[in-house]
Amino acid sequence: MAGRGRGRGKTVSFDVQALGFGRGEALPAANFQPPPLFPTQEFKPIPLDQNEDNAYLLALKQEFVAAIRKSPYYLKLDDRKRDIERYSDKYQLSSTDSSEAFEPDWRRLPSELKIKKRKNRKVSAIKPNLVARKKNAVKTEPDIDEKEIAKTLESLEKREETGVVDGEEMIGVKIEQEDDDDDENKAGGDDDNEEDIEGEYYDEDDLEEETDYAFNYFDNGEAYGDDDGDDDEGPVY
Amino acid sequence: MSKCRTYLCKAVLKEHFGDLAEKICLYMINKGCCHLRQIASETELPLDKVRKVLTALIQQNVIKFEKTKRGVVEYFVDIDVLLWRHRIPKFIHCAKSLYGDAAELLVEDIVYHGQIMMSKAVDNVTSKLNEALENAGHQKIGSSIVHDKFSLLAGSHFIRQCINGMETSEEELDERDQSTLYRVPPLHSTGKRKRSIDDSEQPAKRQKTDAPGDDGIYWKINSRRFHQYFRDQMFIKAISNRIDKRASTILQTMLRLSEVKTDDLCFTTQPLSFTEIFQAIPLDAGITRNLCEQYLTLMVDDSTNLVSKIGESGGGMFVVNIMKGLTSLCKAHLESVVQERFGSKSLRIFKVLLLKEHLEQKQIEEMAMIPSKEAKELLYNMFAQKFVSVTEISKTADHAPARTFYFFRVHMDQLARNILENCYKALANAMVKREAETIEHQ
Amino acid sequence: MAANVKQEPVEDTDLETRVLLMCHQNPEGITDALIQEDMPHFDVKQRVTAINRLLSTGRIDLLKSSSGKLIYKLKDSSSQDAVKGSDQQEKVVYQIIKDAGNKGIWIRDIRFKCNLLLTQVNKILKNLESKKLIKAVKSVAASKKKVYMLYNLEPDRTVTGGAWYSDQDFESEFVEVLNQQCFKYLVQKAEAAKETKVDPIAQRNSSYASSHDVWKYISELGISKVQLSVEDIETILDTLIYDGKCERSIVVGAGDSDKSKKLYRAINPVIQSTGLMRMPCGSCPVFHNCYEGGAVSPTTCIYMKDWLQL
Repeated sequence: MAGRGRGRGKTVSFDVQALGFGRGEALPAANFQPPPLFPTQEFKPIPLDQNEDNAYLLALKQEFVAAIRKSPYYLKLDDRKRDIERYSDKYQLSSTDSSEAFEPDWRRLPSELKIKKRKNRKVSAIKPNLVARKKNAVKTEPDIDEKEIAKTLESLEKREETGVVDGEEMIGVKIEQEDDDDDENKAGGDDDNEEDIEGEYYDEDDLEEETDYAFNYFDNGEAYGDDDGDDDEGPVY
Repeated sequence: MSKCRTYLCKAVLKEHFGDLAEKICLYMINKGCCHLRQIASETELPLDKVRKVLTALIQQNVIKFEKTKRGVVEYFVDIDVLLWRHRIPKFIHCAKSLYGDAAELLVEDIVYHGQIMMSKAVDNVTSKLNEALENAGHQKIGSSIVHDKFSLLAGSHFIRQCINGMETSEEELDERDQSTLYRVPPLHSTGKRKRSIDDSEQPAKRQKTDAPGDDGIYWKINSRRFHQYFRDQMFIKAISNRIDKRASTILQTMLRLSEVKTDDLCFTTQPLSFTEIFQAIPLDAGITRNLCEQYLTLMVDDSTNLVSKIGESGGGMFVVNIMKGLTSLCKAHLESVVQERFGSKSLRIFKVLLLKEHLEQKQIEEMAMIPSKEAKELLYNMFAQKFVSVTEISKTADHAPARTFYFFRVHMDQLARNILENCYKALANAMVKREAETIEHQ
Repeated sequence: MAANVKQEPVEDTDLETRVLLMCHQNPEGITDALIQEDMPHFDVKQRVTAINRLLSTGRIDLLKSSSGKLIYKLKDSSSQDAVKGSDQQEKVVYQIIKDAGNKGIWIRDIRFKCNLLLTQVNKILKNLESKKLIKAVKSVAASKKKVYMLYNLEPDRTVTGGAWYSDQDFESEFVEVLNQQCFKYLVQKAEAAKETKVDPIAQRNSSYASSHDVWKYISELGISKVQLSVEDIETILDTLIYDGKCERSIVVGAGDSDKSKKLYRAINPVIQSTGLMRMPCGSCPVFHNCYEGGAVSPTTCIYMKDWLQL
């Protein structure tokens, strides 16, 4: 076949004339630079259709988006991280969160989605807490044997030391995984230990950094009953 | 799920539901069906947060759940519902233009809450309206007016009852049950309630005096009906452009007659007789019998193929060809894209290819009457951007280019899909840009 | 015997005249067998001489028929003068070119038909051209090919490309102008129809214009220096269809003309422009490189910036 790697001739396998270059005509200028990032646009966009209806639609949309941003359906990824817990936070935060609390109809939703209000206080870094709650866990999951509990305790201790977020969830998850029963509904039992949906989300990190003074001193709202209060808290001064 | 579609979902989620929902849903979109623990562990988010998001989104009809045989509940994102959320202003506006302010507020309320009971919605809207009326100095209105509007909306299928996901699923409904979806309970019913499939159990237990009479019946908007309405509007506008306003009135009548009778996925509507159509035309349009006949003939002859005559009984039986009409409109949009992107000469080449299917380079030049060099440039430009495709047929076994026919053609389906993806991406780009600009200039 | 001898020259010329007469009577040509039939008393030699003499004086032509038989045909006197003075070869070449009619004939084909050498053919062609008997016309299909045809003939459309080509160049402005004029005519007709008629169907029917009407209008406008035919106008109207500006319907002609008429009508577009093209993304050249966080992204897009006039 002509031009197949024979020397560096200009023979190509297709008809060059068909490309539009006549014989011997100048080829288009060679490009020495990368093409521009935003080449000039040959055809500009046609103007937007601006009439009354569209203006009204725009207003509707802006209203709607503003409304849902404030609604309970709009959820932020992280709550505002507080570097130092401030006195005013208690008053400021609670005001925004209590607006339009959204209570779904639980008859129409799987029960695993329910977040039960916690009666207990948050876990802190002290061991006795674990033991106390372990008892709670044991009550609801009678089929776990002692060995597993001990194992869990150890791993939890390790985790606590490294400052893992949301140790409670880990307990719940661990127990779940050790269960043979894969029924999700059983996870309802863990709800006792979980966070309250109302009220602010406290990151574990924050808690562990603080002293317990502020925590003990201020009441966090309706859900945090003081039934077992002092048992879970840190050293009593 | 295509990349562009996912990108658009991300933008919509961020705008409507926040970062948390965005993260969770993105994971679910990529995975398909997942169960709760899986989501929590893979996204590394706290379980409670995941629960909260799932609850909120189920309420908003974006996420659906299903109990599998093993008893595990699986959740999945209904992407269509999610993408249709950006049409919400249009839905609200549609309700307003059809049924007035009260209907507008009703739809707004329903859409805001996702699923809501009729009594609550009616109460909300009544209080909103009364507030506005009081401020303007007018008299208050009773909630029965709002209830009537609600019934109107339900009667024309713009809103429908929600199905309790814990009991039945969407596919299990049959014909008879479909009609119960649109039945509106009376406003202030107390005491006994009729047992319909949407009621939950334990009616006796919940007979508190302050529970609303229609407790357990939730309503949501029926997007498909709104889409049907928009589709009809497009047809009417097209005919109005092509012929004139009176023809579009006739078409509007025809579509209105077959609105609730026809399933929106049919290729054609039910046949309508001429007498039926003529009697249903509003009197103030000023269309005589003769005119009506003539316009129908014109519409039948028009190249968009929207209306066709299928028989002579009853003065002539006419159908609206939904599928053909949509195809013509789609073609028109694609041609508009080609024209605005490449120029009118390219449009000529494009249309030649559309009409004549397979053509060689030379034939295209001749038919479109465009000089050879220019035609080549335009054609190859369109080919490079995938608007036009090539079929090679070689005369010889060695496929030598000089002895091969190269036929150009336009592949409509493929092109339509490509342009749709481009639309998704463009919409998402616009949303992202808007967010960026608002943040920057705050 | 003397009578025979004496009669010979007279009979020869008689034979020639007889043959000529027969040629006149049979314009398609006469075969040798026919002559023999007619004048059986002449022998072969006399016939041959007579025919040769006629041939050399250029009164008749010797041709081969499709069945392989030789036919003698009368040559018209007009072309006789033209090639007077040319030699035999030139005559042959000239004849070939003449036979090609207004399509012209390529030099290679001439060579093939007369079996002469290339150099010879070239010389002859040059000669004939200088005598202004033939001319060379460049073909529009292959710009290097030259076809030869008689000087006074109009080249055929396939060679020159018809009305749209002048000297090998496609006259795009001419086509454009015609395009716009035709469209204007159709639009005017449609508007007139709308104003005068009330009935929508009558409106539509009177907004139709046949290709003949358009052709007349364009010819009257006088913008074309070349005479355009109805088919030419139809090709222009077809381009209007491809532009989406008009539609065509074919009506079978009744009455005197049994050709079917083509009717054209200006139409309105079905939609106003589509939404995607109202934003820069629609016509963006780097659309496929664009993603959030990249060099080309919505936040850095300069087209959007211009569009929003920021």
